[in-house]
Amino acid sequence: MEIQVTQTQGVTVVVPTGDLDMGAADQVRRVLTELIDKGQVKLVMDLGGVGYIDSSGLGTLVAAMKQARAAGGNLKLCALQDDVRSIFEMTRLIKVMSVHATRQEAVASWG
Amino acid sequence: MRDGGPEGTFVLTSEPQHLARLRDWLRGELTRLKVENQEQFGLQVAVGEICSNSIRHAYAGLGGKPIHVSVWGNEDRLVIEVRDFGKKFDPEAYRPPDLEAVPEGGIGLHLVRQFVDELSYDVTQEQGTRWILVKHRRRE
Repeated sequence: MEIQVTQTQGVTVVVPTGDLDMGAADQVRRVLTELIDKGQVKLVMDLGGVGYIDSSGLGTLVAAMKQARAAGGNLKLCALQDDVRSIFEMTRLIKVMSVHATRQEAVASWG
Repeated sequence: MRDGGPEGTFVLTSEPQHLARLRDWLRGELTRLKVENQEQFGLQVAVGEICSNSIRHAYAGLGGKPIHVSVWGNEDRLVIEVRDFGKKFDPEAYRPPDLEAVPEGGIGLHLVRQFVDELSYDVTQEQGTRWILVKHRRRE
């Protein structure tokens, strides 16, 4: 999986491309944990390039969200593809996580 | 199409990196069986979760162990069998997830059940677990 990390308006934007499955979950976990440990806790993850996610991928995002919130920040999501969105709905994570239509909207939501 | 047994079988070993190849193969089989794209995604998730469970629980994360996935079907139903040869599934140890508690794990079988109509397992073989996933097919 390819993961790009950029900064904009004090927000760290993480853009993975590929399938967020059990095979990629550790890589994503390492990237997010490292950012949070460095104090970059205002996070946006753009899932526009992710066409598949499984329970390992979800678990990684939930863990990072909890870590970021505990440190005073959050992990917000944006640009979910329809299939991926359906997984967030089935697991009710759509109600718990901060999910935005676009990256701009997610970044702007930090105020 | 027939309903008597597997038409196609994919054998992978228990490294998570092989799950993407499994999905590619499954997509091809489901296309051959004329399964719609929307349903293909759900079945890929369901089969992926069963295989992830085999890797994580049956084989305790050890690589190099076999997992066999077979698909067959007819006009009424689609059947997918996942077979591992490790520690057997223990239904007594399984706890359904509390989604309200926002769990970080343990939701794989919950996801599988969202995408298939029947889920069963057979632990009567000498080794491992044989999972059977059934999806009913809508008649046109």
